[in-house]
Amino acid sequence: MITIANQDLAALVLTLQLALVTTIILIVMGTPLAWWLAVTRSRLRLLVEPVVALPIILPPTVVGFYLLIAFAPDAWIGSAWLKVTGSSLAFSFNALVIGSIIYSLPFYVQPLQISFENLDDGIIDAAATLGAGPLDRFFSLVVPLCRRGFVTAITLGFAHTIGEFGIVLMIGGNIPGETRVLSIALYDHVESLHYGQAHLIAGGLMIFSFVLLLLVYGSNQRIRFRLEK
Amino acid sequence: MSLESTIKLSRSSGFDLDVQIHIPSAGITALYGPTGSGKTTLLRCIAGLERGSKTDDIQINYSGAWWQKRNKFVPPHERGIGYVFQDAKLLPHLNVQGNLDYARKRNRSGQEADLNQIIDWLSLQQLLDKSVQQLSGGEIQQVAIARALATGPRLILMDEPLSALDQHARARILPLLSRLHEKLSIPIVYVSHTLEEITYLADKIILLDKGRVVASGSVFDLSSRADLTISQDESAGSVISCRIQKHDAQFGLSELQFDGGCLYVTQRDEPLGSTIRVRIPARDVSITLTPDKNSSILNILQARVDSIEASETARFMVRLAVGKHFLLARITRKSVQHLKLEPGQTVYAQIKSVALLSEQLVQ
Repeated sequence: MITIANQDLAALVLTLQLALVTTIILIVMGTPLAWWLAVTRSRLRLLVEPVVALPIILPPTVVGFYLLIAFAPDAWIGSAWLKVTGSSLAFSFNALVIGSIIYSLPFYVQPLQISFENLDDGIIDAAATLGAGPLDRFFSLVVPLCRRGFVTAITLGFAHTIGEFGIVLMIGGNIPGETRVLSIALYDHVESLHYGQAHLIAGGLMIFSFVLLLLVYGSNQRIRFRLEK
Repeated sequence: MSLESTIKLSRSSGFDLDVQIHIPSAGITALYGPTGSGKTTLLRCIAGLERGSKTDDIQINYSGAWWQKRNKFVPPHERGIGYVFQDAKLLPHLNVQGNLDYARKRNRSGQEADLNQIIDWLSLQQLLDKSVQQLSGGEIQQVAIARALATGPRLILMDEPLSALDQHARARILPLLSRLHEKLSIPIVYVSHTLEEITYLADKIILLDKGRVVASGSVFDLSSRADLTISQDESAGSVISCRIQKHDAQFGLSELQFDGGCLYVTQRDEPLGSTIRVRIPARDVSITLTPDKNSSILNILQARVDSIEASETARFMVRLAVGKHFLLARITRKSVQHLKLEPGQTVYAQIKSVALLSEQLVQ
């Protein structure tokens, strides 16, 4: 009988923590970015868009490698962090959060940006003539009308953070309770030939991801049905 | 509460708008012109939905306050306007009541709009709980008009609100608009390219073509001018305001009095003394040199030839002075020659039909 080892449970909790914190920050930062990308006529967009999309095609180890260098206590980001917080950034939970934000950014921003771009400008104009200011329009109109985009973006951002491995390995290491997330724990079990434990994590992640996507696509179908009927 | 606006705007597509307009403080001002004449762009400038680029010069003044001038720009949501879009643009995630409440809650004018009264005016009682997706085309526009009113606007802008509707729905909504016009004391700017709508509703017409104002004036003056593009419209005809003088139940007729004579029409429901607007289509007016006593035509008015304009190769537009009013008659070149018509001549206008505007729209 295989039971979940305590350290695997800790890895699960840590993984969920990481995904949750990352998703919240993505919502706060990624939403305005997605909006800006959807509406701007600035040429800067030509530069920002590929930068946001880079993590999709780059091996995560590439991103992880540069972050590792940037987070080192003698690099300016790492030393600034050390000065402000008093603790080292490299191999810490915070480093994982920053890495995850960068790595999951395109998965959050892109569905939302597409959703914003598909909005009918006329509806926004109509709300303006009804007396709604920009922020009011965003919350009373854009958010409900782009619900599908938000659901997809949040799910992908969250799930993708859970599935991250390469960056974590590079900048987090393998510190139990601090940076040892599920994907790393799985890797450990496989390395040490504990296939039973490995199955538990791998199978669990697979089922979790499948159910999550099933729920998202199902709810999007319902929203679409309601709005188009 | 009048609006003054000077707009110089050019687009990279080659279109440019160069107009100076005045919207009086009450009544319906129609912006009329063919597609591409700049009507909608002008309306969007007034609303603030079109800001123009750095090289454009847009100046809009509403009753003494600048909405736009050089660097000053009051955004649309602070202008206190009601805008009715061609395709309504109801908020799809809210039901009818929700759309009306959305507008009422964001009232910018400081004057509370009476939602119940608006619902009553536009007969929306049965629709309030319906979702936007359940409404017919006509109902959608009714809700859109009500929603614009629910903001308690200081100015209403309507962009071809009836153009997407079938004849039946138009005939139902036009009288509602006309009634609003009587009840509201705020200016309404109404964009349309349908002459019937405008002659029915408008008090003032601003005629636009290729981004310029071609003519502007009262509906009565402009509709009876022979030198404007509107007189070339198949349905061209002069609009006259008449008073109901007499009902003749025996023949089922009403006698309408105007300065210049009287007209007989099928009996009206309105009480004696009420004012109604009629349109006399140019194609239904013929000219004789002597009054024809043996005609079945009821309405024969003595008139003086004011001007003769060639409209097309075979047809002429003759402008006839009847009292202080003018009629248009579209007749053939052959007839003009045959009758030897000249300005100043006294003739008789035989009017085959007098269109009461509300009826004509149903046809």
